[in-house]
Formats: sequence, C-alpha cells, structure tokens
Amino acid sequence: MHETQQLNHACVQQLIDRQLPEGGWPFTPDRKQSAIEPTALALLALPSNSLGEREAAIRFLLRAQNSNGSWPAFIGDDEDGCGFTGLVLYALNRRCVQAMITDRAVHWLVRTRGWESHWLWKWKFRTSDRHVRFDPDKFGWPWVPETLSWVVPTAYALLALRHTSKTKQKDLLRFRVRRGVEMLYDRICPEGGWNAGNGVVYGTPLAPHPDATAIALLALLRERPNDLITTSLDWLERRTESCFSPWTLAWTILALDAFGQPTGRLTNRLCTVVDPRVVNDCATLAIVSLALRCAEESNAFRVTHEI
Amino acid sequence: MKFDRRTFLTTSLGLAAGASAGAVLNRAKFHVTRRPPRSRVAVLKAESYSPNLEAILHSGLELFQLGVQGKTVLLKPNLVDYIPGSHINTHPLLVAAAVECFRRLGAKSVVVGEGPGHQRDTQLVLLESSFDEELRQLKVPFVDLNRDELVPTRMLATYTGIQRLWLPRTVLEADFLVSMPNVKTHHWSGVTLSMKNMFGVVPGAKYGWPKNILHWKGIQESILDVCATVPVHFVIADAIVAMEGNGPLNGHPRPLNRIVLADDPVAADATCARLMGLDPARITHIRMGAQFLGNLSMERVEQLAEAVCEPVSPFETVPEFWHLRLAGASHRHS
Repeated sequence: MHETQQLNHACVQQLIDRQLPEGGWPFTPDRKQSAIEPTALALLALPSNSLGEREAAIRFLLRAQNSNGSWPAFIGDDEDGCGFTGLVLYALNRRCVQAMITDRAVHWLVRTRGWESHWLWKWKFRTSDRHVRFDPDKFGWPWVPETLSWVVPTAYALLALRHTSKTKQKDLLRFRVRRGVEMLYDRICPEGGWNAGNGVVYGTPLAPHPDATAIALLALLRERPNDLITTSLDWLERRTESCFSPWTLAWTILALDAFGQPTGRLTNRLCTVVDPRVVNDCATLAIVSLALRCAEESNAFRVTHEI
Repeated sequence: MKFDRRTFLTTSLGLAAGASAGAVLNRAKFHVTRRPPRSRVAVLKAESYSPNLEAILHSGLELFQLGVQGKTVLLKPNLVDYIPGSHINTHPLLVAAAVECFRRLGAKSVVVGEGPGHQRDTQLVLLESSFDEELRQLKVPFVDLNRDELVPTRMLATYTGIQRLWLPRTVLEADFLVSMPNVKTHHWSGVTLSMKNMFGVVPGAKYGWPKNILHWKGIQESILDVCATVPVHFVIADAIVAMEGNGPLNGHPRPLNRIVLADDPVAADATCARLMGLDPARITHIRMGAQFLGNLSMERVEQLAEAVCEPVSPFETVPEFWHLRLAGASHRHS
C-alpha cells in the first residue's frame, strides 16, 4: 500500500473513532457537540466501505436541518441558518441524497443574500462608507443571515448550487450563481487570491489567505479560464511552497488538482506533517483525507457533470 | 473642496445619524457593574523581546498579588494573521513568559486560547508566527476558540441589542482570564487594546470569519457587550513594539518599549491610549466602559511602577480618528 493510502486509511479510522453516537462530528474529540462543517467534510471523506458511518452522518444531517431549509452551525444553534449550508448541501448531493430536503436547502440558499444587496446598504456603501473597495451590486452569501457576503460561504453556496439540477427555481438559481461568481471576482485581492472578503481597505491591498483562495477556486472550476483564475492559482502555488499547515495544504492540493496542476510535492509534504492521532481538529482530518485521495485520482470537488 | 448640494445633504444626514447614534449609545444599557473603587496599573520597561521578559513580567505581576493559586488561567493573546515583517500579533515570547509566570504563581492550569477574526486556519497562524514552537516547548495547550464547544450566554450589556451570544466553553470555564493585546491603532475602532481583543472569544464557527455581526451591530457597542459578558480579570498589554497608522493589519511598527499590566481593562486601555498620545476619554468604548467596566479617571488608578509618559508625537491613525489625539499634541500627517 502506498504511503498516501496508508495515511488516508489512518485518517478515516480516526474519523470513524471520533463520530458521535448521534452521527455527527464535533470539531475536537474532547467535545460532544456535533458541528456542521466537520460533519459535512467527514461525510465527503468517508469511503464507500464505511457505509454505516456514512448513513449515520446523512441521517444526522437530515435531522439537523432547520425548518427553513438551512442548517445550523452546530447542534443546539439558533434556527436562522449559517454559512455552511452550501457545504452540507454539496456533501448530501455527492452522496445522492436528492429529495424534498435538498430542495428546501436550495430554496433557502437562493433567497439568502448578503445585505449589501439591500438598497439602503448599497446607498450607504456608495456614499458614506467607502473605505472597503467593493461593488455592492455583486453579492453572494453571508456567514450569518442579515450580514454582508463573504468569500467562503459564497464559495460553498456556489459549489452546492452549481451541482443542483432538479429545481423549480432555475432562473433565480442561475441569477444567484452569476451574482455569486461576480462577487468572487469583485473581492479578489490585487495580487490574486482571496481572503475573508476584503481585497483593499483604506487604499491598502490586503493579503490573500490560501484556504479561502483554494475554496473560491473550487467554486469557480466551471468558469472559462481567465487571468483572475490563473493569477490566483499561481499565487496559491507560490504561497504554499513554504507552508506546513495540514488544513491549508489539503485545500491547496484539492484546488490545484481540480485545475489539473501537479500536487506531488505538496502531497509528500502533507504526509510528513500529518499524524492522524495528533491532528485534533476533525474538519482538518476530513479535508486531509480528501486531499490524499487526489493521489488516487479521486477529487471530491472535481465534478464535471451536474449531480 | 467641492461642496455641492449632494455633499451638503449627505453630510447633514451623516451628522444627524451620528448625533442620534451617539445619543443612543450614551444611554446606559448594562446589567452588571464591574468597576472597582480603585484600579492598579503597572507600566514596565522592556527594551526588546528577549528571554529576560519572564523576569520583568514576574516582578511586575508580584506587585499585584493576584491570588491565582489553584485557578484555571486562560491567556488570550491577539493573534490576527501572519504577515512577514509586520508586528500584528502579541509576541509569542511575551505569551510564553506569561505562561511561565502564572505557573510559578501557582495556577492549577494555564491555557492559551484565541479565535482569529479573519484567518480560518489558526494552525497556519500559530506555525508561521512561531507560536506553535513556543507553546510546544512549554507544553501548554492551545484552544482554537473559533472551534470550541459553544454555550448560550445571556448578555450582561445590550448596547448592540443582542440578547444572547454563543461563547466557547473554555472561556466560560476559566477562573481567571488575561487579555493580552498587542497595542495598535485600528481603522474601525480607533484603537485595539485589551477590550477590543475580546472579540477573539466570539466563535467563528457560529459568527463567521470575520465576526461580521459585531461590526454590523456597531464595533464600540459590541466591545462593551462582550466585555460585560466575559469579564477580563487581568491585562498584559504588549507595547514593546506597537503599531500605528492603518492598523490592525497594515500599520507601521512603533516601539514603545513597555509592557502594561492592570487589574482593570478600562484602566489598562486608558493607560495604553495615553502612552499612544491619544485621549482615552475620546475613545467611545473606553469612555462608556468607564461607567461600569473599570476606571478611566487617573485619580482612581494607582500606578504601581513608572509614571505614564506621553510620546513625543501621538500615534498616527486613519483620518477618522485624528480627533483622538491628546489636546496639545502635535500631529504628523503622513
């Protein structure tokens, strides 16, 4: 067995060991509160021979869904929805959960928008509050309803909606996807790449973040190749040359692999820095497992067709 | 400057909105009073980040007789991001010195915790800013407050209108919370000191990266609400190399060669502001915090070490905060 396969096997085993009886995962194994992001990523990471764990995770996510179609950030959370809803929908779609439940999630996503899209806030950002450079006509999704759009929830929502074919709201869905893509291009950092969502503040360019850049690139995978994507891929490759953080390395591998770039060196480095027993964070374990699977030509984020 | 009808209308509306917001903010909305009759502050001289910091810090802490024996101490540094060459985080050597000092003072356990506001990969920030190495050597646990278990908590001040906040269990279970800011100017709040540093306890997994709801509900108001709800028991402010200008990320380093200790976050922040050449009474959250979170007036603050000296020139800020400089201080326009 190759080193990457062995390591992936160990990551999956750790994930299985850390799954809570209710089917979800906490962020860290010393806690008992299921959280949505690690659970969605673990669902994507579990292989087909972990059918029981997968089904328990799916049942958990279906139970956790809010009545408005969104997902809470963790069990016990308020029921207004969170920025991980797109990621959950994407994971459920990948596991072929196509039912009324995912329709409700699509419904929530196409109706939830960053508040810069509201006329009053547009006016504010165009007149009195102009220190952050962005175009409020280009909006995506917020972390928390009734706040502004940010890069990661927008990228997660785009991933989900771009792989949603069965919906009664096709026109609205297309409109939201287009606006979301425009928002990502609008918020790009001057040197390429993305951070949380502010490219320039007080006239000063801000530095991009590798994980946000990788997730945004995955959301733009179906876009025609263009300079913004190329510059961001180049920046991501350069930035991670000296990076040793498993979370960032794993997201970078997934993004570069999805765009057909070589990832062998980064995968080798990931193998040297990850000891699954020591990685405390379950979301990190899951994303590392997904990245290692790229060496076997399987990338959970490279989908060439609608699910 | 062109002053047309549109500019006049916009300015008038802005002033009216500002005046009414100020009136609303000035109304007391706190349900707890933490202001002690007197507060204690110690400004310590520290020329650089060196292994000698532990001795300096220990001698300073002894002045307070803190009584942390048997307590769980949570150190909350300001870890924002890593930008090579920039001094945007509390220095890891100061945090390491604090760990050692609280252990020597008999704490049952010392934990370091932070939830960075923009960077989701906390491990990346720890690795690249050398925190990871320092914490490993000391075998001190680090908790990513963005991803901790969360507990619903009733707000003890409601300037934002938020009635309840989900907060990390690690924060709520700590017996003794030490806010360890890096002294900086901030383009939205004027300054970021021990009170603003508490934004880091608000979890990203619930409120996002950045914690936009705090900005959306008003930064000054949010600082007051968070500090009322999560008491800061002690402050160790890193003013050895501070930041001026377009902080908290893109300002310039400004050495002050000081560490500020205090048993009251308002007194700590007022002292730091004076060291920066800024008037603490003009900084909204410090002025409002003085009603119920601590002491702003110098008469109610005992200086345990050296006297507070204003700098030769006040810290540069973005133009919106030029009015913060102390009366009589000259202003450098960059």
